[in-house]
Parts: sequence; structure tokens; C-alpha cells
Amino acid sequence: MTIIQKIAALCVLLCSLLIVPQYAAHADDELNCTMCHKHRGLSRVDEDGNFRLFYINQELFDSSPHRGRRCNECHSDIDQIPHKPAKKVDCTQQCHIIEPSGKKKFSHKIIAKTLSESAHGRHKSDGTLKPHQEDLPSCKDCHDQPLYRPLSFYKGESPGMSKRGISRCKSCHATGDFVEKFYEHVTSRLHKTRTSKEIVKVCAKCHSDEDIRKRHKLDDVVKSYKETFHGKMVELGSEHTPDCIDCHVVNGESVHRIESRKVATSSTYPTNVATTCRTSECHEKASPQLASFQTHVTYSREKYPMQFYMLIMFKGLLAFVMYFFLLLIFFELLRRLFPRFVWNKAKRADIQGVEHD
Amino acid sequence: MHNFEKMVIRNGEKNFYRFSIHQRLQHVVLFSSVILLALTGFPLRHPEESWAKPLYNFMGGTDIAPMVHRFAGSVLLFLFIYHTIYWIVLFFKNQILPLKREGKLTIGGFFKQLLTMEMIPNKKDLVDMIDLWKYLLYFSSRPPRHGRMSWREKFDYFAPYWGIPILGPAGFVLWWRDEFSHLMPGFVLNAAYIMHTDEALLAVLFLFFVHWYNVHYAPEKFPAATVWLTGYLTEDEMIHEHYADYVKVMIELGLEDEIKPQHFGGVTYKW
Amino acid sequence: MVKRFKKFIFNFYVVLLMVFTVWYGTFMYPLIFGFSGKEGAAESLRDIGRAGTEAEKMFIKLMADKGKTKTTDLGYKVLEQPYIEGRFHHIGFEIDQDKASRCIRCHGAVPHDRSKEVRSFLNMHAFYLACESCHMVPKKGDTAWEFRWNDKKTGEPTNNPKILVTIDVPTKKGEDGHAKYATYGDYGAKIAPGYMENDQFRFISGQKEMAFVLDYIQKQDMVGSGQRSQMKKMIHLKVSKKPLLCSACHNQKTPYLPLAELGYPPRRLQDLTSDSVVGMIEKYKKFWIPSFLTPGEKRKKEMENERR
Repeated sequence: MTIIQKIAALCVLLCSLLIVPQYAAHADDELNCTMCHKHRGLSRVDEDGNFRLFYINQELFDSSPHRGRRCNECHSDIDQIPHKPAKKVDCTQQCHIIEPSGKKKFSHKIIAKTLSESAHGRHKSDGTLKPHQEDLPSCKDCHDQPLYRPLSFYKGESPGMSKRGISRCKSCHATGDFVEKFYEHVTSRLHKTRTSKEIVKVCAKCHSDEDIRKRHKLDDVVKSYKETFHGKMVELGSEHTPDCIDCHVVNGESVHRIESRKVATSSTYPTNVATTCRTSECHEKASPQLASFQTHVTYSREKYPMQFYMLIMFKGLLAFVMYFFLLLIFFELLRRLFPRFVWNKAKRADIQGVEHD
Repeated sequence: MHNFEKMVIRNGEKNFYRFSIHQRLQHVVLFSSVILLALTGFPLRHPEESWAKPLYNFMGGTDIAPMVHRFAGSVLLFLFIYHTIYWIVLFFKNQILPLKREGKLTIGGFFKQLLTMEMIPNKKDLVDMIDLWKYLLYFSSRPPRHGRMSWREKFDYFAPYWGIPILGPAGFVLWWRDEFSHLMPGFVLNAAYIMHTDEALLAVLFLFFVHWYNVHYAPEKFPAATVWLTGYLTEDEMIHEHYADYVKVMIELGLEDEIKPQHFGGVTYKW
Repeated sequence: MVKRFKKFIFNFYVVLLMVFTVWYGTFMYPLIFGFSGKEGAAESLRDIGRAGTEAEKMFIKLMADKGKTKTTDLGYKVLEQPYIEGRFHHIGFEIDQDKASRCIRCHGAVPHDRSKEVRSFLNMHAFYLACESCHMVPKKGDTAWEFRWNDKKTGEPTNNPKILVTIDVPTKKGEDGHAKYATYGDYGAKIAPGYMENDQFRFISGQKEMAFVLDYIQKQDMVGSGQRSQMKKMIHLKVSKKPLLCSACHNQKTPYLPLAELGYPPRRLQDLTSDSVVGMIEKYKKFWIPSFLTPGEKRKKEMENERR
């Protein structure tokens, strides 16, 4: 996989207030970066042949949790005008928000720590690097800019925002777009911020990559997941069916803590599977026996003999019956085109003549 | 054995009796539920195809379509049970009771009656099938003369009658998976899943091609056969598909002089 | 006669059914044996294992990714946008391809890469300025040039894009602020030079010139290699050696392009030709001096140095 290069921005802001145009599109953009970055065509092909687009869609940026952050809070190496190609953003740096529950400066460091301890971390428990650690994901391999997916609770639950619903809040908190943004922030968290189908796509980025799978000796788990009822319902747009994260993260834990099934604390460790399946939102009433269901079936004779032989049987039956009748019908149609022909001429005597109707 | 008119004349045309209203109603229930099942099941089997999602949404989406599927499946399972009771009752009424009344009922006789039932495949079916292939490959000049139930119709009948006992219980287990997990281990679901999806594929592929060929696409039938509505076959259809039975019925009714010759694909045969 | 016709219809139908039967046989095959047609996309990536260099790998990937889009389901709407590997921020929409430019046929839509410092800016301008606007200048004795908007789809002159005026007015964006993205640079047309001929406006690169290029692309393998060089020369005949510089337009006194006539509202115009942009260009000059003033010159010098 191509290592993602730094977000660069060739264009620049101008420092003095004088130069900030009076119609600056958004108050948040104090630095006026969008003066250049609002242009859809601000792009280039870099030295390695990667296409780089420096356009920023302000509306979409504003419906993400990062709204209101100044560009240089993340792109912190940009400190002069004009700026040189920017470095890759370090997601774990502290930003200027005070995290309200702990009154500390906010940072994604905790998440990075969780990730580093998970199956996707780059180090083994003894501190040495894992083999092929360059394949293992960092933030941007799974995340693009998160977007709010608010829920509307007014007369039924559906995605979107109900103006009637938030009108109650607005009667007191009337200033600015505080209510909308606060509402979006909270209700987006009340359900999946990305659909299950998108989550599967995120995992598939690596877990369906043949090269990576070979290097790490992995089965194509995304393919086998897509063969299951869960996978198929998700493909059809269900949001009540589990995706990868739902089963591979211990209920209540951080989603970044995905552990190998060989680790005793993981949700997929043989003795933990039953608990995972029987979490309250899923197979609550099932017995622990349900855990012997095989999810990632590859139809290999060694690993899954039952499925292998059943499939051979059914596919054999299917092919035999269908192609038998297909041939029969084909020849029956052909016979209609040459109704009087017989290889043995003596037998043609049976035929009385052409029908008159 | 049969207490109905084997042939009626309507508008000067001979019509040959085939299905009772009771049987026709069972067929209507069968095909409506099967079509519903296919429409709500197939998008789920192939969700990545472009038609899958629109069709599934049309059938109610991920919330409603599964309910429709389970409802139609339940109807089909009940129909299966009903039909089983139906043929057993008919069998006793028409074949066993007369024997019993005459005091001729033995265990061997019972099984003999069972095996000579109309729908049970027999030696003539095998011969007919071989004859048909001979005819289709131009080795013989005339198609086989089928009796009242041809081997293809028997196959059509047993496709669902064998399919439902596989599909139905498997579907039932998948539906009540949490409850069934108390009775059996989880990997039974893996087996049920394969049984359900692959047998369903067979049923759908077969019905929408072979069965629909027999009753819709075939040049003699196009656009649709009417026997499922009227219960009667026309003389032409009878000659075409059940020539042996046709001759038998005509002789029974004393209409030997009016028997028409066999024909297929525009060719008539001496008989 | 009627009987014959009937027989023909019958046979025709039978043949049709036979074709249907064969089709059904091929249709069934993947269903029965469980191959999904969707795996085709991944198949084109299978060659990657055989690629020797990184460049080869990248090429195969690009070929496989062509036209790849990314969808984000927000529940109340679905965003469909071009997929760019490694991009964090959302783009939000697809843009119209420029079908009217003959240059793009070979050079692509992101052609500038010689002067590293400003290439993104130049590519940005390529979104709404036709190549001819900067890379061709009228020669002595030419009919006077005029500039008009050239529709990206049809290649015909078109009215001044309304979005130039509405783009800065927030209320026009749609009530929820999401309905329509204000997109600078994506106007559906490009400013291109032309002239009046027999009372009719004609672009310097019009349909005729486009036809010539298309013809060349189609037949370039058939013509001799010497002729090919000749043809390329002919296509690039009017291209001037030194392109116009930023200050040609971004100055208050004598802007090269008649921006007001082309529909830029006064506020925008003032911005483009006054401190905010011009000031930045000045800053840029200092920042990147000396290469900024003469894009490409630096490279030439480097090459000369290498030769020595």
C-alpha cells in the first residue's frame, strides 16, 4: 500500500487583517486558508506520481467533529506565509480544545495507545517490532474526515436533523448554530457514525489485499464474512446486523482494541465467543452452544470438511439436474425445427405427413 | 377409482379432466408463496448484484422483507403438511378402503397400492425418458406416448415436494436460531444455511426455467397454459403430452372412431 | 402464404428459445458454482504481484482504480465523491470532465508540474482558464482577440456562469447549508480566447482544431514517425514559448483578461486584482525567488549546470 503522504498546501494565507477579504466565507477560518483552498482545482501530481488535491469542502468540514479547529492546529508545521509542502499530520498532538470531562487539553493519544496494544499495533509485547509492521494501519488508513450522522428523534427515529425536534432547544440556546452542532455531535454518537457497509470496506482495504494476506498468513475473512447472513444483510443496507467491529471488539471496550483470537482477553478467543454472540443487542436468548457456529468459512476440505462435502453434494445435484433439463429442452426445441428427420431412413415410414391446421 | 367425468364437451371441443378445484387452489397457494419467497430471498443470496438492493427495498427492505419471507415460508410449510394429509386421505379413500371392503387388503397389497399411485415414478417413466432422448437425438421417429402423468410432470411435482422438507426445516432453524441453540450446537446453523440457500437456488432455477418452459415458454403453450385455472386440458394438449392416456380415455368412453393421430412439431404419426 | 408465415414465426420463436436456453446455461453457471461477477475488479489488480518496480505497481493500480469513487452514507443523504488514495478531507462531489479542450486529451487536467512552487496554483487556474488563455498570445497582425466562456461539455461559447455572482452569497447555498456546495473554480466552462470572423465568434481552439487532434490521436500509430513529429509541431504551432505570468491579470491597472465583462462581480474583481491576491503573489515572489518569476527557468539552469 502506498504510504500516504503529507497533506501539503502550497498556497498560503496572508497575515494581516487588512488582507482578509471582508466576505471571508466562514468565521471559523480565521487564517483565511480557504482563500486558496476553496478552489476545486488546487491540485498537482507529485514527484512519485501521486495525485494530490488540496481542495477543502468547507461545508463538509463544518459537519465534522473537527469543525471550528483552525487548520494549523493539525497542520502545525505551517507557521509562515507562504508555506512549504506541509508535513503529515500527527493525530496524537494536543489541540487547543479543553476536553470538558477532564479539563485537560484534548488529544487522540489515548486512542493511539489503545491501537498500539491491539492486534494492529506495530510492536510485540516485548517491545520489538512485528514482522512486516509497515503493513499495519495508522489513523488515516481507516479514517477519513469523520462526518456527523445525526439522528432525528422527532416522530420516529431516522437519520437527519428534525427542525421541529431541535426547536425546543433553540428557544433557550438561541445564539449561533450552537444547538445544531451540539445536537449533531451527540446524536451522531447514538448510532454508528459510519454504516456497517463502510466499516466492512475499511477492514477490506487490508484484509482483502492478497499481498498483505500472504505476508501475514491471513484468510480472506472479508470474503467469508460476506458469505454469511450478517454480511449479506449489511450489504443490503441493514444497520441492525453486526459488522466486523461488533464481534471483534469486547462489548463496551474501545473499538480500537481489536485483538487476535489467540489472546485470552479478545472477544473471539474460543472461550469468549459465546459471550460475544450473546451480548444484549444480539443473540441474547441463545445458549452458549451457539458459539460453535463457524463464521469465517473458507470451504477448505481440511478446515471445514462438513461444509466442503455438503457444498460438493449440493452443487453436484444442482449442476446435474439443471444441465440435464437444459440439454433436454435445447434438444426438444431443435427437434421442432427438423421434425421429420431420422438417422435411420426406414423409420421415417412412421410419419404420416405434415399436419394441416 | 375416479368419480368425475373424464371428458366434457364444451363448445364442440373435447376437454379432458385433470385437476380438481381443491388441487388448483393448493397450486395457487404454492406458487404465490414460492414467488414471494424467491423475491425476498434471492436479493439476500446475491446482495452484490445490481438488482438486489432495489428489489429488496421494493419487497420492504431489511426490516420488512425478512418478515414477508418468514410469513410466506410458514404458509409453504403448512401447505406441505396439508398436502401430505391430503394425499394420504385420498389414498385411503380411493385405494385402500375399496380393497378393505372387499376384504382383499394384505400388507403386500397395501405397498403395491402405494407404489402404483399416480405420482410414484415407475418403469414406464424410465422407458419414456429413454425413448424421448432417442427421439430428440433423431434415433427414433416418434416421441414417447405418455400416460396420465409423464415423468417430467412427476419430476415437477417432486421438485417442491422434496425441496420443502429440506428448505423449510432449515429455514425454520435459521429463523429460531437462538431457541434452537439450546437443542443443538451452533454449527448445525452452518449446515442449515447451506441447505437453505443451495436448495433454494435449485428450486428457483428449476421453476423459472424448466417448469415455466413446460407451461409458459414452450411454443405449444405460449403465452400460458390454462389448466391451472380451468382444470381441463384441451384435446390438442392431451394428444401432445399424454397420448397414451388420451387413447385410453377415448376407448373407455367408446369414442374409438374419433381418436386423432399423435403429432409433434407439426408432424402427425400413424398409430 | 399464411401457413408459411406461421411456420416462420414458429421457427423463429423456437430459435429464440434455444438462444435463451443457452444464455440461461451461462447465467446459471456462476450462480451454481458460487463465483461472483464482482471479483472482476480485484482481478485486474492481480498483476500487481508481477510488477517489478514501484512505478509499474502504481500504473497497474491506477488502471484498476480508474473511475473509482468513494461513497459515504450519512443516512439522510449519500455522498459520492472521487476516490483519491490517502486523502483525509472530503471532496463531496464529482466534477464535470472537460470535453472541449484539445490539450487535455494528451496533457491531462493536471498538467503543470515543472515549477514545483506554484504548480498547484497553475493547475487550479486550468480549471477555469483554457490553456490557450495563458499559453498563446496574439501575434502581430492577428485579428483582435476576445475572451468568452467555453462550455466544458459542448465546446461552444456560453453565457457568463451565474455561480460567479451567487457563490459569495451565503443564502443561495440552500437552506440547510448542505444542499449545494460553493465551489470555486468549477463553473462548467472555461475562459478561452477567440476572434470575430464574418460576424461570428470563433475560439482559437474550436471544433475544427479539436477534430484535427482527435484524428491525430486515432491515427498516430499509422503515420510514419517523422510525420508524427511534424504533426505534433503543427498542433503546438501557436503555443508561445513564454506563458503569461500571474501579474498579467492580477494587477489593477491593465488586467489582460476582461474579468468584469466575463461576469466577475465587482467584489470578486476587486479581490482578484487588489491586495489579497496581488499581495500574496508579491509575498510569493519573495518566498520563492528567483524561480517564481520565471517558472521553468530554474530547471533549465539546473540542466545546463548538469551538462557542464
